[in-house]
Amino acid sequence: MVDRRLLFNMDWVLLGATVLLCIIGIATIHSATYTGHNAGLYVKQIYFVLIGLGALAVSLVADYRRLADRSPLLYLLALAALLAVFFFSPTIANVRRWFRVGPVLVQPSEFVKLAAALFVAKVFAEAKKDTLGVTDIALPGIAIGVLAALIAKQPDLGTAFCLVPLFLTVAFLAGLRFRTIIGLAVLSMILVTAAWQSPLIEDYQRTRVRIFLGLKDDPQGAGWQSRQSVIAVGSGGLTGRGFKEGTQSQLGYTPARHTDFIFSVLAEETGFVGVVVVLGLYLLVLWRGLETAHLARDRIGAFLVAGIMGSFIFQVIYNVAMVGGLVPVKGLPLPFMTYGGSSVLSSLLAIGLVLNVRMRRFAN
Amino acid sequence: MRIYEDLRAVQTRVTVIQYVAVALVAFLMIAFWHLQVVRGRYYRNLAENNRRRNVPIAAPRGILRDRNAAILVDNRPSFNVVLSPEQTLNLDRTIGKLSHLLQIGEAPIREKLPRRGAPPRDIVVKADASRADVAAIEARRLEFPEMAIHVVPLRSYPLGAAAAHVLGYVGEIRGDQLQRANYHGATAGDIVGQFGIEERYNSELMGKDGLRVVIVNSRGAEVGEDKELSSAPAVGPSVTLTLDAGLQSVLERAFAGRSGAAVAIDPNNGEILAMTSVPAFNPNDFAVGIDAAGFRRLQNDPEKPFVNRVTQGIYPPGSTFKLATAIAALEERVITPETRIHCSGIYEKYGRVYHCHELGPHGSVNIEQAITASCNVFFYEVGVRLEIDRLARYAKMLGLGIPTGIDLPSEAAGVMPSREWKRERRGEDWYPGETPMVAIGQLSTVTAMQLARVVAAAATGKRVTPHLVKSVGGKNVPVTSPLDLGFRPETLQVVHRGMRGVTSPGGTGWRAGLPGVPVCGKTGTAQVVGKARLAKDSSADVQPHGWFIGFAPAENPTIAVAILVEHAGGGGKAAAPIAQQLFAHYLGVKLPPAPGAPVPVVPEPAEAEPAPTAAPTPAVIAGTAP
Repeated sequence: MVDRRLLFNMDWVLLGATVLLCIIGIATIHSATYTGHNAGLYVKQIYFVLIGLGALAVSLVADYRRLADRSPLLYLLALAALLAVFFFSPTIANVRRWFRVGPVLVQPSEFVKLAAALFVAKVFAEAKKDTLGVTDIALPGIAIGVLAALIAKQPDLGTAFCLVPLFLTVAFLAGLRFRTIIGLAVLSMILVTAAWQSPLIEDYQRTRVRIFLGLKDDPQGAGWQSRQSVIAVGSGGLTGRGFKEGTQSQLGYTPARHTDFIFSVLAEETGFVGVVVVLGLYLLVLWRGLETAHLARDRIGAFLVAGIMGSFIFQVIYNVAMVGGLVPVKGLPLPFMTYGGSSVLSSLLAIGLVLNVRMRRFAN
Repeated sequence: MRIYEDLRAVQTRVTVIQYVAVALVAFLMIAFWHLQVVRGRYYRNLAENNRRRNVPIAAPRGILRDRNAAILVDNRPSFNVVLSPEQTLNLDRTIGKLSHLLQIGEAPIREKLPRRGAPPRDIVVKADASRADVAAIEARRLEFPEMAIHVVPLRSYPLGAAAAHVLGYVGEIRGDQLQRANYHGATAGDIVGQFGIEERYNSELMGKDGLRVVIVNSRGAEVGEDKELSSAPAVGPSVTLTLDAGLQSVLERAFAGRSGAAVAIDPNNGEILAMTSVPAFNPNDFAVGIDAAGFRRLQNDPEKPFVNRVTQGIYPPGSTFKLATAIAALEERVITPETRIHCSGIYEKYGRVYHCHELGPHGSVNIEQAITASCNVFFYEVGVRLEIDRLARYAKMLGLGIPTGIDLPSEAAGVMPSREWKRERRGEDWYPGETPMVAIGQLSTVTAMQLARVVAAAATGKRVTPHLVKSVGGKNVPVTSPLDLGFRPETLQVVHRGMRGVTSPGGTGWRAGLPGVPVCGKTGTAQVVGKARLAKDSSADVQPHGWFIGFAPAENPTIAVAILVEHAGGGGKAAAPIAQQLFAHYLGVKLPPAPGAPVPVVPEPAEAEPAPTAAPTPAVIAGTAP
């Protein structure tokens, strides 16, 4: 099973960078919450990370190819979970997103990403074609689209959208023709326009986009979050205001500061220096992760890694850009740093899959 | 089993994605460099402004004291129930609760809420809340942290309506006042003086507001204070008035139930010892902010409680004017103290017939007797001898028909008719037949303050500038020193003798007399309607106003008064007893206990002297300064 040869191929750099990001995340959560009624959340996050690392270690035992072989089953499980959420989960803050398992809330959509990555890798690996056209990606596209639509309906547009880069990255590696990519881009624009009009998009989401595009002025409403986050980031300056010293974060101006806007707290308190360090670590994770796609012994491994990394690239870039006020506010966690068991567990398991592929690059 | 797949095409595309990731991260770093390093200072300022909020602390206004340091106007702590709407989780529930706890409607609370989109601010739900209200709110602080009790200084007038027109009242500054000099430094929303001394000395009384720079969290809740940027409020300097609170309360008591004006001054320096105007208002009613309807009701009251009748109410002086005629005649030597004029009850001149009053004819009288008996015929003749210009010159010299210069806002001037005045105002030549009427106090209009000044000048020969403020913040306020009018002592002595007769048993103002202290006085009657109508209509509001002016003691006087009681019928009956009370209190003379006790030896003379055939001059009350 896990012999010494496998451990020899362990990517300690990727794992180290990931753990470092988790630790920075824990410290930032502590700073963001220690004054309020959320004080102590960082301890829970420590448990989440430890559980996540344990799960990661356990997941290395299983060969990724075996997991991929079972991906149709995982896909059905994911579909069932999302449908169950839709019908049975409690409504929290107008959203049906979680299952209550004992004392914790589990967010199935986070784990759906893993199932989707395995499923997409498996489907495209079996295509065995050098180039792919629209027809080749239509069926897997619809399969992933169904998952995304169910997540979007929760509503959780951010997480739903994560499946798009996941799918496209794999499709791209699998040989999607450039003209197909362009065609899809045009089509998606049409779809976006159509979606804009459709009841699938909630009013608050329209408002967010409108405000972002400068079509609507509302400094106290939805634009307020973005505005306060930008002020927090900007006020950090070169070296930051100091750990636990950020006025925007500590006085509650920064929204969702231990979850989606955790990077805003980091930027305010550690300044541009901290931003460069953390973005550097993320780039390291992304680069090293994609290196694994280079090294993978088979298409399925390369595609699995690429799908996971495609999703990570989107999450990291979008979340940080949102904190910097460059894109509309969307509920999207920052992998490894955002508080939340489901996000941490799923992100670490994703890294586990990447490590899994690298470990087994020479194995039969 | 495929061991080695051909992955070269895939690997090329992986490299593309790697560089896309690098490019995106690099782009983000550039964006954050711009945000944090290039524009860092700008956002740092925004963050600082975000968390700092300036909360002004109203400075208590200076305290007003009387000449003996008794407090006339004070500040007391009051409790405002304040709501921070942006801190409430359920505004409707909070408003409902407040409405229930404070026993006020929900609508008035909602009216005060900032408009949608306006920056969040606290609103005062109830000003000057009772202790029960405060207790009710405090008990629910944990449940409703958005409610708070603020302690603010509130103007308090312990004398109530007494001297209300002197002290004035305070209220929120009006838009047109922001530019005015005595509101310098005040900003919108400030509580400033709106009347009387509060208005006139507003800039002196206003302290310097303090500032609390508080640190607030995103919900607007205060989490700390920036002590370095905060400053404590500075109380305004206290102002000492010339008023004598004891004398003032005697005056208020004596005036109770009547309407009119009264003022008592020190004839030697013009210090105002007591002043009242009735009906009055209670300045305490405005301290909290009177409701608009109540304020309008007072403003539209036909009795005009907002007019200070002492300085703004203008009335015909009636026979009190004869003092000016007498002084002018003696100084101009148109008569001597011994000159006798025969009063047959009527005076014929310029083809007209002028009447003396009901108590005539007086027979042969000299000036002293003419003053005591208020003989119209004597003064008709003297007026004719003086002619209008000389008469008007002396009247103005004494202070009639010109503002006294008192340190109160919006003083009325009145009118002293003269040849020049008639030409300018009416474009007509002076008709000599009007001169006898001016000589007995018709055709001119004056204020009580002017008559107090005249009687003080008659007492001392010096014209004083009446004033109310002695010192501000311990520093004496410069006052215009008394102007010696250069009258011959003999003139004044003769006039004083006539005035002593007025307050002696049998005189028209005998009720002002004091046991053991000689008092000088003069009564007067200010016509409201013509004699013909008066005969038909006996209702109270057509009765003439009664004047009494005088000073005491007759030698070296220390107090001079001018009192007007509206619709009193005459000065002797209503006004003179008030003067007596003032004299007695101020000079420390004990009066016999029962009011109106001394029965005069002679039959009581009728009140003064209703005017001759000439048209009556209605009393005029000026709303504001001319």
